[in-house]
Amino acid sequence: MTRSLKKGPFIDERLEKRISQLNKSGEKKVVKTYSRATMISPDFVGHTIAVHNGKKFIPVYITENMVGHRLGEFSLTRIFRMHAGDRKEGKAKS
Amino acid sequence: MARIAGIDLPRRKRIEIALTYIYGIGLTSAKKILSIAGVNPDIKVNDLTDEDTDKLRKVIEADYKTEGTLKLLVKEDIKRLKEINCYRGIRHKKGLPVRGQRTRTNARSRKGPSKGSVALKKKADK
Repeated sequence: MTRSLKKGPFIDERLEKRISQLNKSGEKKVVKTYSRATMISPDFVGHTIAVHNGKKFIPVYITENMVGHRLGEFSLTRIFRMHAGDRKEGKAKS
Repeated sequence: MARIAGIDLPRRKRIEIALTYIYGIGLTSAKKILSIAGVNPDIKVNDLTDEDTDKLRKVIEADYKTEGTLKLLVKEDIKRLKEINCYRGIRHKKGLPVRGQRTRTNARSRKGPSKGSVALKKKADK
Protein backbone atom coordinates (compact mmCIF):
# COMPACT_ATOMS: atom_id res chain seq x y z
CA MET A 1 0.00 0.00 0.00
CA THR A 2 1.51 3.32 -0.99
CA ARG A 3 1.25 6.47 1.03
CA SER A 4 -1.60 8.84 0.26
CA LEU A 5 -0.50 11.54 -2.17
CA LYS A 6 -2.59 14.03 -0.27
CA LYS A 7 -0.14 13.93 2.62
CA GLY A 8 2.97 14.35 0.52
CA PRO A 9 6.25 12.65 1.38
CA PHE A 10 7.17 12.18 5.03
CA ILE A 11 10.04 14.40 6.08
CA ASP A 12 11.03 14.88 9.69
CA GLU A 13 10.24 18.52 10.49
CA ARG A 14 13.29 19.15 12.63
CA LEU A 15 15.60 17.69 10.04
CA GLU A 16 13.95 19.70 7.30
CA LYS A 17 14.48 22.87 9.32
CA ARG A 18 18.14 22.08 9.95
CA ILE A 19 18.75 21.44 6.28
CA SER A 20 16.99 24.57 5.13
CA GLN A 21 19.06 26.55 7.63
CA LEU A 22 22.21 25.02 6.22
CA ASN A 23 21.02 25.76 2.70
CA LYS A 24 20.42 29.41 3.57
CA SER A 25 23.80 29.90 5.21
CA GLY A 26 25.48 27.81 2.52
CA GLU A 27 27.20 25.68 5.13
CA LYS A 28 27.96 21.97 4.79
CA LYS A 29 27.75 20.32 8.15
CA VAL A 30 27.04 16.73 9.10
CA VAL A 31 23.54 16.54 10.50
CA LYS A 32 22.79 13.72 12.89
CA THR A 33 19.35 12.21 12.79
CA TYR A 34 17.40 9.24 14.07
CA SER A 35 14.70 9.72 11.49
CA ARG A 36 15.33 6.80 9.16
CA ALA A 37 11.86 7.02 7.68
CA THR A 38 12.42 10.47 6.23
CA MET A 39 12.11 10.59 2.48
CA ILE A 40 15.10 12.22 0.82
CA SER A 41 13.93 15.44 -0.79
CA PRO A 42 15.79 17.34 -3.51
CA ASP A 43 16.88 19.92 -0.89
CA PHE A 44 19.08 17.34 0.79
CA VAL A 45 21.33 16.78 -2.22
CA GLY A 46 24.95 17.56 -1.51
CA HIS A 47 24.63 17.31 2.25
CA THR A 48 26.00 14.62 4.45
CA ILE A 49 23.51 13.24 6.91
CA ALA A 50 24.48 10.93 9.74
CA VAL A 51 21.71 8.36 9.97
CA HIS A 52 21.38 6.27 13.09
CA ASN A 53 21.42 2.53 12.51
CA GLY A 54 20.42 1.57 16.05
CA LYS A 55 23.97 1.70 17.33
CA LYS A 56 25.79 4.58 15.74
CA PHE A 57 25.38 7.33 13.19
CA ILE A 58 26.41 6.38 9.68
CA PRO A 59 27.34 9.33 7.47
CA VAL A 60 25.49 9.27 4.18
CA TYR A 61 26.42 11.64 1.37
CA ILE A 62 23.24 12.45 -0.51
CA THR A 63 23.41 12.38 -4.30
CA GLU A 64 20.75 13.21 -6.83
CA ASN A 65 19.99 9.55 -7.54
CA MET A 66 18.94 9.01 -3.95
CA VAL A 67 16.00 11.40 -4.05
CA GLY A 68 12.79 9.56 -3.26
CA HIS A 69 14.47 6.89 -1.16
CA ARG A 70 14.39 6.90 2.62
CA LEU A 71 17.36 7.71 4.80
CA GLY A 72 17.27 4.32 6.50
CA GLU A 73 17.93 2.53 3.24
CA PHE A 74 21.49 3.80 3.33
CA SER A 75 22.31 3.00 6.93
CA LEU A 76 22.30 -0.75 7.37
CA THR A 77 21.12 -2.17 10.66
CA ARG A 78 22.71 -5.59 10.38
CA ILE A 79 26.27 -6.68 9.90
CA PHE A 80 27.10 -10.05 8.46
CA ARG A 81 30.29 -11.58 9.78
CA MET A 82 31.39 -14.76 8.07
CA HIS A 83 30.03 -18.14 9.06
CA ALA A 84 32.32 -20.00 11.45
CA GLY A 85 33.36 -22.64 8.90
CA ASP A 86 33.92 -20.30 5.97
CA ARG A 87 37.43 -19.21 6.87
CA LYS A 88 38.77 -22.75 7.03
CA GLU A 89 37.24 -23.63 3.68
CA GLY A 90 38.89 -20.60 2.10
CA LYS A 91 42.30 -21.73 3.38
CA ALA A 92 41.86 -25.29 2.18
CA LYS A 93 41.13 -24.10 -1.34
CA SER A 94 44.12 -21.79 -1.59
CA MET B 1 3.76 -14.99 -40.43
CA ALA B 2 2.89 -12.77 -37.51
CA ARG B 3 5.99 -11.12 -36.22
CA ILE B 4 5.57 -8.45 -33.57
CA ALA B 5 8.30 -6.72 -31.56
CA GLY B 6 10.89 -9.10 -32.92
CA ILE B 7 9.10 -12.22 -31.74
CA ASP B 8 7.33 -14.87 -33.83
CA LEU B 9 3.93 -15.48 -32.33
CA PRO B 10 2.96 -19.13 -31.85
CA ARG B 11 0.60 -19.88 -34.74
CA ARG B 12 -1.91 -22.18 -33.23
CA LYS B 13 -2.77 -20.06 -30.20
CA ARG B 14 -5.46 -17.48 -29.79
CA ILE B 15 -4.01 -14.04 -30.40
CA GLU B 16 -4.91 -13.00 -26.85
CA ILE B 17 -2.60 -15.68 -25.48
CA ALA B 18 -0.04 -15.41 -28.25
CA LEU B 19 0.67 -11.76 -27.40
CA THR B 20 1.77 -12.79 -23.92
CA TYR B 21 4.74 -14.54 -25.52
CA ILE B 22 6.23 -11.08 -25.95
CA TYR B 23 8.35 -9.97 -22.97
CA GLY B 24 6.55 -7.10 -21.28
CA ILE B 25 3.03 -8.12 -22.26
CA GLY B 26 0.86 -10.17 -19.95
CA LEU B 27 -2.72 -11.21 -20.29
CA THR B 28 -4.13 -7.91 -19.05
CA SER B 29 -2.14 -5.75 -21.42
CA ALA B 30 -2.75 -8.25 -24.24
CA LYS B 31 -6.50 -7.80 -23.79
CA LYS B 32 -6.13 -4.03 -23.67
CA ILE B 33 -4.07 -3.99 -26.86
CA LEU B 34 -6.66 -6.09 -28.66
CA SER B 35 -9.53 -3.84 -27.63
CA ILE B 36 -7.62 -0.71 -28.66
CA ALA B 37 -6.74 -2.25 -32.01
CA GLY B 38 -10.26 -3.58 -32.41
CA VAL B 39 -9.18 -7.15 -33.04
CA ASN B 40 -11.20 -10.15 -31.91
CA PRO B 41 -9.20 -11.84 -29.11
CA ASP B 42 -10.46 -15.32 -30.07
CA ILE B 43 -8.87 -15.45 -33.53
CA LYS B 44 -6.00 -17.85 -33.92
CA VAL B 45 -2.72 -16.30 -35.00
CA ASN B 46 -2.87 -18.33 -38.23
CA ASP B 47 -6.12 -16.67 -39.22
CA LEU B 48 -5.01 -13.10 -38.53
CA THR B 49 -5.15 -10.81 -41.52
CA ASP B 50 -2.12 -8.71 -42.34
CA GLU B 51 -4.13 -5.59 -41.53
CA ASP B 52 -4.84 -6.83 -38.04
CA THR B 53 -1.20 -7.65 -37.40
CA ASP B 54 -0.25 -4.20 -38.57
CA LYS B 55 -2.77 -2.62 -36.22
CA LEU B 56 -1.47 -4.64 -33.30
CA ARG B 57 2.09 -3.80 -34.15
CA LYS B 58 1.28 -0.11 -34.21
CA VAL B 59 -0.48 -0.18 -30.84
CA ILE B 60 2.36 -2.08 -29.23
CA GLU B 61 5.06 0.11 -30.68
CA ALA B 62 3.25 3.27 -29.62
CA ASP B 63 2.29 2.43 -26.05
CA TYR B 64 4.30 -0.51 -24.78
CA LYS B 65 7.89 -1.13 -23.88
CA THR B 66 8.80 -4.65 -24.85
CA GLU B 67 11.70 -7.07 -25.19
CA GLY B 68 15.12 -5.44 -25.50
CA THR B 69 14.08 -1.94 -24.46
CA LEU B 70 12.28 -3.14 -21.39
CA LYS B 71 15.08 -5.48 -20.37
CA LEU B 72 17.52 -2.61 -20.69
CA LEU B 73 15.34 -0.38 -18.53
CA VAL B 74 15.12 -2.99 -15.80
CA LYS B 75 18.88 -3.44 -15.87
CA GLU B 76 19.40 0.30 -15.57
CA ASP B 77 17.08 0.48 -12.59
CA ILE B 78 19.00 -2.26 -10.83
CA LYS B 79 22.29 -0.60 -11.69
CA ARG B 80 21.05 2.64 -10.16
CA LEU B 81 20.12 0.85 -6.96
CA LYS B 82 23.57 -0.70 -6.80
CA GLU B 83 25.33 2.59 -7.39
CA ILE B 84 23.62 4.54 -4.65
CA ASN B 85 24.36 1.74 -2.20
CA CYS B 86 20.91 1.51 -0.69
CA TYR B 87 19.57 -1.60 1.00
CA ARG B 88 17.94 -2.95 -2.15
CA GLY B 89 21.11 -2.31 -4.14
CA ILE B 90 23.21 -4.19 -1.63
CA ARG B 91 20.84 -7.15 -1.75
CA HIS B 92 21.15 -7.18 -5.54
CA LYS B 93 24.94 -7.10 -5.28
CA LYS B 94 25.00 -9.99 -2.86
CA GLY B 95 22.48 -12.02 -4.83
CA LEU B 96 20.09 -12.27 -1.92
CA PRO B 97 16.32 -11.68 -1.93
CA VAL B 98 15.53 -7.98 -2.20
CA ARG B 99 12.04 -7.74 -0.79
CA GLY B 100 12.48 -8.90 2.76
CA GLN B 101 11.95 -12.62 2.28
CA ARG B 102 13.49 -15.07 4.72
CA THR B 103 16.95 -16.37 3.96
CA ARG B 104 17.39 -18.86 6.76
CA THR B 105 15.82 -21.43 4.49
CA ASN B 106 14.58 -21.26 0.92
CA ALA B 107 15.51 -18.17 -1.14
CA ARG B 108 17.03 -20.64 -3.60
CA SER B 109 16.00 -18.72 -6.72
CA ARG B 110 18.28 -15.89 -5.67
CA LYS B 111 21.05 -17.83 -3.98
CA GLY B 112 21.32 -20.52 -6.64
CA PRO B 113 21.30 -24.28 -6.10
CA SER B 114 21.90 -25.40 -2.53
CA LYS B 115 25.51 -25.93 -1.48
CA GLY B 116 24.85 -27.54 1.88
CA SER B 117 24.44 -31.21 1.16
CA VAL B 118 27.30 -31.28 -1.36
CA ALA B 119 29.80 -30.13 1.24
CA LEU B 120 28.59 -32.82 3.58
CA LYS B 121 29.08 -35.48 0.93
CA LYS B 122 32.69 -34.41 0.35
CA LYS B 123 33.47 -34.75 4.04
CA ALA B 124 31.92 -38.20 4.07
CA ASP B 125 34.16 -39.31 1.18
CA LYS B 126 37.32 -38.38 3.06
